[in-house]
Amino acid sequence: MQRRLLALLAVLALVAAACTTGDTADTVPVTDGGADDTSADTTPPDTGDTDETTDTTPAVLPQDEGGILAAVRDRGAVRCGVNDVLPGFGIVDENGEYSGFDIDFCRVVAAGVLGDPDAVEFVPLTAEARFTALQGGEIDVLIRNTTWTATRDGQEGATFLHTTFYDGQGMMVPASTGFTTLEDLADATICVLQGTTTELNLTAVFNARGIPFNPMTHADNETLQPAYESGQCEGWTSDVSQLTAFKASIEEAGGEEQYIMAEVFSKEPLGPAVPDGDSAWAQAVDWSILATIQAWEFGLTSENIGSYDGDDPNILNFLGTDGFDPGLGLAPDFAVTIVESVGNYQEIFERHLAPIGLELEGSPNDLWTNGGLMYAPPYR
Amino acid sequence: MLRVVGQLAALVVVFVVFRWLIGNLVTNYSRLNIGFDFGFLNVPTQFQIAYHPEFNPRLPVWRMVLVGVKNTGLAAMFGIAVAGVLGLVIGIGRLSQNWLAAKLSAAYVEFFRNIPPLVAIVFFSFAVFLYGPLPHLRDAIEVGLPGTASTLLVLSNGEWGVPGLRNTGNAPLFGVLALVAVAASAAVWVWRTRVNERSGEPHHRVLWSLGVLAVVLVGAYVILDGPVVIDWPQLSENRRRLASGFSVNSGFMSVAGALGLYTASHVAEIIRGSILAVPWGQTEAANALALTNFQRYRFVVLPQAMRIAIPPLINQALNLTKNTSLAVAVGYAEITTLTQTSIGNGRPAVQSIVILMLVYLGFSLLISLILNIVNRRLQLVTR
Repeated sequence: MQRRLLALLAVLALVAAACTTGDTADTVPVTDGGADDTSADTTPPDTGDTDETTDTTPAVLPQDEGGILAAVRDRGAVRCGVNDVLPGFGIVDENGEYSGFDIDFCRVVAAGVLGDPDAVEFVPLTAEARFTALQGGEIDVLIRNTTWTATRDGQEGATFLHTTFYDGQGMMVPASTGFTTLEDLADATICVLQGTTTELNLTAVFNARGIPFNPMTHADNETLQPAYESGQCEGWTSDVSQLTAFKASIEEAGGEEQYIMAEVFSKEPLGPAVPDGDSAWAQAVDWSILATIQAWEFGLTSENIGSYDGDDPNILNFLGTDGFDPGLGLAPDFAVTIVESVGNYQEIFERHLAPIGLELEGSPNDLWTNGGLMYAPPYR
Repeated sequence: MLRVVGQLAALVVVFVVFRWLIGNLVTNYSRLNIGFDFGFLNVPTQFQIAYHPEFNPRLPVWRMVLVGVKNTGLAAMFGIAVAGVLGLVIGIGRLSQNWLAAKLSAAYVEFFRNIPPLVAIVFFSFAVFLYGPLPHLRDAIEVGLPGTASTLLVLSNGEWGVPGLRNTGNAPLFGVLALVAVAASAAVWVWRTRVNERSGEPHHRVLWSLGVLAVVLVGAYVILDGPVVIDWPQLSENRRRLASGFSVNSGFMSVAGALGLYTASHVAEIIRGSILAVPWGQTEAANALALTNFQRYRFVVLPQAMRIAIPPLINQALNLTKNTSLAVAVGYAEITTLTQTSIGNGRPAVQSIVILMLVYLGFSLLISLILNIVNRRLQLVTR
């Protein structure tokens, strides 16, 4: 009896071992299929011309032949990872149409690479999922109010390109309090979104200056805003661009007048990111975005770029009218296509960020000739 | 034999599934060049914990875990106490002859039993604190202790100050002596019970053990020259924080209070059911002995009802403890909130969740253990 039991156990153990090795070997294709399914699910239905292969073959990784640029041309669409819930930067309206500052830069890339600003598949991503999507090849470019940091450039396998928006963390207080510096908030309770770099910056800045404080963290803005408005916390910290939007919405709803402190205590350069290891694709995306800044500097807008009749050699190079091609893998007239269909940087900014209360003039996002940081390398 | 094979097969299936899940994780982690280790517990937490000014962001993550465990434990303990007492009263109330008491209890049960606990917590937080009647801390209501200059209570919409205890140097030693006092009074209780059983002389065990407790505590207090003093709550100079006293924050009260009220409705139903399960003859017998209402419940009905009620009550205690994880909604710094923040700040998610699961498992096992001991003591000993 005992011996039979032992023999049985041995057989079962063998079976188990065989099963497990087989199963672990299977896991890679299984998870890949899962990832592809999600990308197919999140793709809006109106870009129905995607070929079947995207669903079955593994994602295109940089080391594959031809790189991402060739894969994008084959597909006829740029897969762009975006935010779909941030007013001004990326939001979906009731018709399922994407709009916003970041969304327009996806269109800029599509116009530059494919000549068609609508050849974009928008992939809405959460903050946690964005780098996994980029690493796994689910998206070609990530334009989702993402701060360029060393860790993300290194560990997360992303290559950051020219910053499209210079943001920074600020502090908002009710105007009636008269507080103007962080020191005025010693010992105060401060509202902050949970688990963000904002929370870490807040701790770092207050600790560095030796100001005691008490953070009030909430997982989302729906409960954070009432906590702030009821006065449970005396200050609210977030990126200035977001605080501006909240200030506008509180004041519009008839709430107290708000004041955003002049001091900005962190650097948040938001820009596009592409996967590491494909410089041809990185350059194509980078120069498409730089074209909007260069056009602004030249004074070219979506209205007048098509009818330029001057003879500035720099502008003629930029427009590609004389067939000038710097070898970036882009059409000679890509800049014309971009600016005509989407607009120059100023137009994109005024279209999406001015309505939420952000000023272009005098901000770091102004052109370098006006004292800002927007500076495109010469196109020649 | 067939039964043994069946059980072995089931065991193998469980093993294979588990092995597959782990293998999946390890394969995918190594593909992404991420290791599966717990070294992150020793790196700095990097963020400040709400209402914990003594917590330094440079303390390692495991210290943050301890803060979370402490806060989860506090919320669960307070919630269980509220749910137990309130549930008992309402459960008995539903069976009352008094029309108003019975109807009010029924209304309470029907209201709280039929809303989700998360809604209860958020509603509590909004109604009592965010949009409630209490002012901001700078205009806090300070309730004075009659006849003295001390403040008894500080009430605001963010935190409440209540009297606490302050260590004047010998508090740890006093704590040890307090434990000794409790042990001594328990021993005296047992001794008096034995005396009563052996000789039939009145035990007076409550008086005896309270007396021993008081003598030891007072003696220790005098010998140690006042090891702890009462710390009356007081606002700081700039009226932005409590300079002294024990701080109870709105998140804690929302979670513990709302869960206590919610779970009380379930406890009430269990109590009512258990009382109804005690044979009617017991009540009639108690009435025949001319026991008062209180005596009938205290000595006849409740001891028998409790025997039936304990196992389902264990479930309610476990549910309440696990429901404290809903504190995420109001930002109370318990273990789930802190784990989520920590993951958001770049700590490995899978390992953090494993620790989270172990913490809740530990709480559940502890509560089951305690209540099972109580249950065993209450069971009928049959021959």
